[in-house]
Formats: sequence, C-alpha cells, structure tokens
Amino acid sequence: MLAQVLVSSVTAGAVYALIALGFVLIHKGTGVVHFGYGDQVTFGAYLVLIAQMAVTGLPFWPAVFIALVVSALLGALIYGGFMWPLRNASLLAKIIASLALGTVLREFVRAFMGPNAWPFPFLLSQTAVPVGGVLVVPANLAIVGVSLGILAILFLLFEKTLFGKAIMAACDNRIGASLIGVRVSHVFLLIWVVASVLATVAGVLVAPLLTLSPDMGLIGIKGFTAAVLGGFNSLPGAVLGGILLGILEALVGTYISSALKDMISYGILIAVILIRPQGLLGGLLVKKV
Amino acid sequence: MPLRPLLFAAAILAFFAAPQLLPEFYLFQICLIAGTALAVLGLVVVTGLAGQISLAQSAFVALGGYGASILAASWGVPLWAGIPVVAVVVAGLGFLLGQMTLRVAGHYLALATLAVTAIVQLALIHWEALTGGAAGMAVPPFEIMGRALTSGRELYYVIVPVTALFILTAQNLIASRFGRALTAIRQSETAAEAMGLDVLRYKAAAFAASAFLGAVAGGLLAPLSTYLDPAQYGITYAIYFLAIAVVGGMTSPTGAVIGSAVFVLLPNYLQAFQSYLGLVFALLLLGFIVLRPNGLSSLPWLRQAGALLHRTTGPKP
Repeated sequence: MLAQVLVSSVTAGAVYALIALGFVLIHKGTGVVHFGYGDQVTFGAYLVLIAQMAVTGLPFWPAVFIALVVSALLGALIYGGFMWPLRNASLLAKIIASLALGTVLREFVRAFMGPNAWPFPFLLSQTAVPVGGVLVVPANLAIVGVSLGILAILFLLFEKTLFGKAIMAACDNRIGASLIGVRVSHVFLLIWVVASVLATVAGVLVAPLLTLSPDMGLIGIKGFTAAVLGGFNSLPGAVLGGILLGILEALVGTYISSALKDMISYGILIAVILIRPQGLLGGLLVKKV
Repeated sequence: MPLRPLLFAAAILAFFAAPQLLPEFYLFQICLIAGTALAVLGLVVVTGLAGQISLAQSAFVALGGYGASILAASWGVPLWAGIPVVAVVVAGLGFLLGQMTLRVAGHYLALATLAVTAIVQLALIHWEALTGGAAGMAVPPFEIMGRALTSGRELYYVIVPVTALFILTAQNLIASRFGRALTAIRQSETAAEAMGLDVLRYKAAAFAASAFLGAVAGGLLAPLSTYLDPAQYGITYAIYFLAIAVVGGMTSPTGAVIGSAVFVLLPNYLQAFQSYLGLVFALLLLGFIVLRPNGLSSLPWLRQAGALLHRTTGPKP
C-alpha cells in the first residue's frame, strides 16, 4: 500500500517539478518570477488543440510541433512586448505584469475555447504494468523521465557551458555583463523563448493527467511551492521540491484527509517562505543596501 | 471661491436625489461599485501607499462576508453589529499577516499572500458545518430597527455613506504622519528605517487596514448578492481587485472608485461580447501596467481637477 502510494505520488511530484523548472529557469536567468507561468502551461496544451482545429486532419505530433514553434514566438513576444519595456520598472509593476500576462492567456482560452474541459490524448499507454509488486503506468513514467531529462540539460547548460555563465552574469549584473561583451537582451530573449517552449512541453505532458480547462493553470501555485521548497535558484532543488511535495500530498491525502491535501501544500509554501526562504538547496541570499 | 463646500453640498444633494430618480438596476450597480471600491481601497493602502503587494484581499473580503453571515445565521447577531466586529477580528489577522513582511518582500510576499487566499478558499469549501461547503450559503437580510434592507435601493443608504466615509478618511490619511510614513517605506525601506520609522509596525498596520476595509466590503457586499459562493473568492478575485486598483490608480483613493466604476459598468456596454469580458479585463490590466502604470486617476485633466480642489482648500497666501 505504502509503496504504491509512493510510486503514484512521484508522478504528481514530477508534474510539479516540471513546472517548477520553468519558474526557476526564468528567475535564475532573468530575475523575474513569472506568475503567469502556470497559465502558459495550460495555453501550451491548448495550442495543440488549436493547431488541430485550424488544420483539419492534422495528426497529433505535427500539431505538437506547431504548438512548440508558436510558444517560442509567444516567449519572444512576452520578452519584447512586456518584459523589455518594463526592465527598469519597479518590482511591483513586474509582478503585476506577469500576473496580467497569465490572466490574459487564461481568459483568451476561456473566450475562444470555452470554459469546459477538453479531452487530451496520452502520449503513452495508460495500462498499468506490474513492476516488482507495484503498478507502474508508462504514461506517468514519461513525465518523470522528461522532467529529469530537462533538469539534466538545463543543469549542464548552466554549470558547464560558457553560455550558461553568460546567462548568470547577465542576470547578476546587467551592466557588468554587457561591458564584457554579453548581449544581455539576447540572453534574456533566449531564456523567455526556452522557458515558453518548456511550458508547452509541460502542458502536453500534464494535460491528459489533469483536466484540460482554462483553470488548469492554477496548478502553477503547486509549481511555485515546489520551486520555493527546493530553493528558487536551484534547478535540482526544483525537481527535489516537486517530488517531495508530490509525496507529502499523497501521504496526507491517503492517511489523514483528502480535504487537507491542497491545504498542506499552501501551508508548506507559507512555512518555507517564513522559516527557510532560501529553500532546501538554495544558497543564502544576502540583501544589499 | 469656496469650491469645496459647494462640491460637498452637491454630493449630498446627489446622494439623496439618486434613489428618487434612478431605477433599482442602477442603484444596485452603484452599491456594487461602492462595495468593490471599498475592497480596492484596502489594496490602495497596502500596495499603493506602502508598496507591499497583497493577493490576500480576496481572502479578507471572503472572511468579512462569511464571518458576518455566519454570526447572523448561527448566533442571531444582526449584520450591522456583526460586520464591524468581524472586520476588527480580520484586521487582527491582517496585522499578523503583516508581521510576515519582516522576512518577506516582493515575489515571496506575493506568493505568501496568494497562498493565504488559496487556504481561506479551501477552508470555506471544506468546513461544511459552518460555511455550507462548496454549495455556498444564503446571507441573512441586513436588518436595521426591525426593517430588512433587501433591495439595492435600500442598501444604498448603508453602503454608499460607509464607502464615502472611508474614501474621505483615506484621502486625508495620505498627507498625515501615517500616510507619509507608508510612502517613505514604499520609496525606500532602508531610508525610512534610517529616519527612525518602525517599518515593520507601519507595514503591519497597513495590512491591518487593508484587511479591515476588505472585511467591511465583504460584509456589505454579502447582503447585496444575498448568496455566498466559495468558488468566487479565489485567486481570480484577488487579481480582479488588483486590476481595478491598477486601472483606477494604485495610489489614489478616488482611483479605487473610478476603477470600480469601469469594471462594474463595462459589462453593461459589452453585453454582446459576454464571453470576452474576462479577456477585456485582463487586457486592460496588462495595457495599463505597461503603458500607464499610475492608472486613470493620473490622467492630466483629472489631476488638474484634483489640483483645483486642493488649491482652493490650501492656506491662503
């Protein structure tokens, strides 16, 4: 029983981890916390449906490809149209702008695709396969695999390549980085494009598991919790936080009360912010005056 | 010329004339604008003046509405007594939440207040014995001296004066010691601290004020809508208040009224586009924060009107 709960909870955890990775990427790369990211995940999944509607008879995979391309453009639009003009605005304005972006995407979907849920195909088989006494679902495994894969790629990018160092420099000190030849605006543009594509990947993976409706983006708050729990600047932390959150929720849901399940994650969010704002794996942030 | 007393006289005249001239529909809308403006006024104090982002306004409004209704339904406390009592309790909660700002600012504060809204909404849904759960609960009528106020026409006499009172208070508070302290904190917390301000206490007081105003607004809006639905009091509602504050003008109490009027009245003119309403509101918020972050109340002709008022009331040379 316990083993089964744990195995199933890892899937939910991987979903949170996937979304948390996007948050951390944008925050680590550009210093902005994107409050509309959860809605971007939802929007990505809807893009696949919209592509299939626009071109009748379009198979699933080409539609996914189109959705990825469109979301890359969306990322460029978000940076060029909103984040770049607001680069010198107050933090408050940036937070509100990112909230507004998410709301626009959510309401766009609600207006043009309706408020009701849409069916979304699974990537792999949903039939459970018994592995060593516990049931494992291949479709769920895919989510875990993709989260870990994306973590590995991003981790290598940030830690091992010169480009990763350029990103960190650009985020750390915009003027300093541009003095040593980093094209800061290009770096930020790229981060937004990559993060937006990542949102669509997450959306395609997550949509069949959850219900694909305009409000699916509220899952974003779980992604936040995962990112905060792991440490907002740490990529491995995001994955660790996501999976820990998934397990905690499953344990509380199974053994205590399913009503408490969601409340636990929000409680964790507040507790971590108050007690250990740098998260489990994040470095200590020193506030400069 | 004494412009200000004249304006006050005109406002009082308009207040008593409106119920005689306008049909119920418009009076209901005026009540809705006033109640919403009161909730947004809380946001003006905590986010606009003190610079502390809060997504908990939805939670405060929910607590005010539910608190007063539960007191009335279960213990027979009339709403006119229950609303202030609940508002004071919620203000205490807001003060506690404000203590959080000692450690938390910016993104993290937005997240933490977001979590507060989510937790309150979940509690309303799951505490069925008290709140009626996901099905919601009916609001007992607002009774004063044995007379139940049920229509917008009757509630008008309660909601509009209360809102006007708090708007005027806030307007005068801006230039007071408290208001200037909040502005100083918004502009630089470090500098404010260096000037000897007890920054944490002021921030907590700002949160308490926003919670108080939110709870009063919730308590007054509840009998107007006659039914409380927990699905309403979510994160979307918190962003709705933020959008009104931004569109009206984050630092202006009158902006709260202007913004609320736009958001309440706009649906009447967009009846053919009902399903695009959410998108229109979201685009308004996005457009304003990028192009005119100080909102409608910063429009030149409105500012001039405001300046005219102040000039006539200022000290004579």
